[in-house]
Amino acid sequence: MTGQSVDYGRGAFEFIERVCALRSATDVVRLFHEALGRFGYETFIITGLPNGGQRFEQLVLLKHWPAGWFDLYTREGYILDDPVAVQCRRTVEPFEWASAPYDPQRHPRSAEIMRRAADFGMTNGLCVPIHGFVGLEACVSAGGSDLDLSPQAKAAVHLMAIYACNRARQLLAPLAEPRKPLLTSREREVMTWTAMGKSAWEIGCILRISAPTVNKHVASAMHKLGAANKTHAVARAIERREVNI
Amino acid sequence: MIHVITAGNRSLYASELAQHHLIRHEIFVKERGWSALDRPDGRELDGYDTDETIYLLALDEGRVVGGHRLFPTTRPHMLSEVFPALVAQKVPSAPDVYEWSRFFIVRERRSGRTYLRLMAAVQQLCLEEGISSITAVIEMWWLPRFHEAGFVVHPLGLPQPVEGVATAAVMIEIREESLARVRQLGDLPASVLVRRGDSPPLVRRDGYRLPVQ
Repeated sequence: MTGQSVDYGRGAFEFIERVCALRSATDVVRLFHEALGRFGYETFIITGLPNGGQRFEQLVLLKHWPAGWFDLYTREGYILDDPVAVQCRRTVEPFEWASAPYDPQRHPRSAEIMRRAADFGMTNGLCVPIHGFVGLEACVSAGGSDLDLSPQAKAAVHLMAIYACNRARQLLAPLAEPRKPLLTSREREVMTWTAMGKSAWEIGCILRISAPTVNKHVASAMHKLGAANKTHAVARAIERREVNI
Repeated sequence: MIHVITAGNRSLYASELAQHHLIRHEIFVKERGWSALDRPDGRELDGYDTDETIYLLALDEGRVVGGHRLFPTTRPHMLSEVFPALVAQKVPSAPDVYEWSRFFIVRERRSGRTYLRLMAAVQQLCLEEGISSITAVIEMWWLPRFHEAGFVVHPLGLPQPVEGVATAAVMIEIREESLARVRQLGDLPASVLVRRGDSPPLVRRDGYRLPVQ
């Protein structure tokens, strides 16, 4: 490896370490913008791409875009004809904006979007599609006018983009804690039989406990599940997968 | 469920292992076009399919539907022999670091939860066997999937194109939190592993207990 590519790598690894430790989305914007700046990028956006009736502006996670450009882009609904957004849905590999294909004759709006982006200082850029288990989840797209587009620089931006996106998602939509079961195993047992239509007396016979004890377990389960009555408790327990029938 | 196949119980899985080499050929050579792996006998196997290889195979009534393998990094392994150029510094090598490779899923299972089961399987096995991290050569577009599954992934070098696809060497931490996250994501049971027969621990077998359900 050449000395230069080692430096590209080191910069990217340092960025990853730092971005993973950041506590706020604003800090991610600042650090990512600064890191991209070393390769000549001036703007970036981390966003989902709208499907069906979704609104683009509600899918944006982080951005460092010229204010005028974001206003124009959303007002004009550019996302629908942006060749970069269209190409992002077609590939898993990062690509330069300039390589996103469109036919200026058939899609004059696409040509207009690329021209207006250039007016805002974004003559070219790099787009990284982010795929999850169910397909395209997001895209990270960075632009500027004087970019280092060497393979090593693009590789560094590719790597950093994925980690910036992951941190943004962690900070903006924190993962739910894995759910701990609320009910004891006895309560689950009683609720399972209840869900199957058995009366307290019948459950008592099955489990060899008294009917009042069964009712005590039901009451305790209702309390833990915040349920108004026995039927409600059964529904909540099934919904939480603490009871399977 | 995912079956753990080691030197100790390999004889119990002779037909499944034979089947898995044919499926690997089908997927890696025919579908993915990795022509360097082509062999006239229609099986895909290489120098890292040895007695020391641990296979994790997703079986459905005797049919192999997916899998992957682990290989000790204390031996010459893929990262040290085939892809050292993907590593910026030193290729990790330690008794508690294994190399993870040949992740595959048959076509008809790719939209299901088999992915998540196989990802949970590697974390669970490594936790149970005292393996603290695994190295792997991955296609970059998979990295967000690992993130989604809660895996902590450290790049070992910058991505480079391999057969036209951006590819990187990574080190993945083995963590209970990652297993918990992937289990939650796939709504998986406390254990996704099936173990038959006895086999000695790969590193040590005293540090991890399955969560009670």
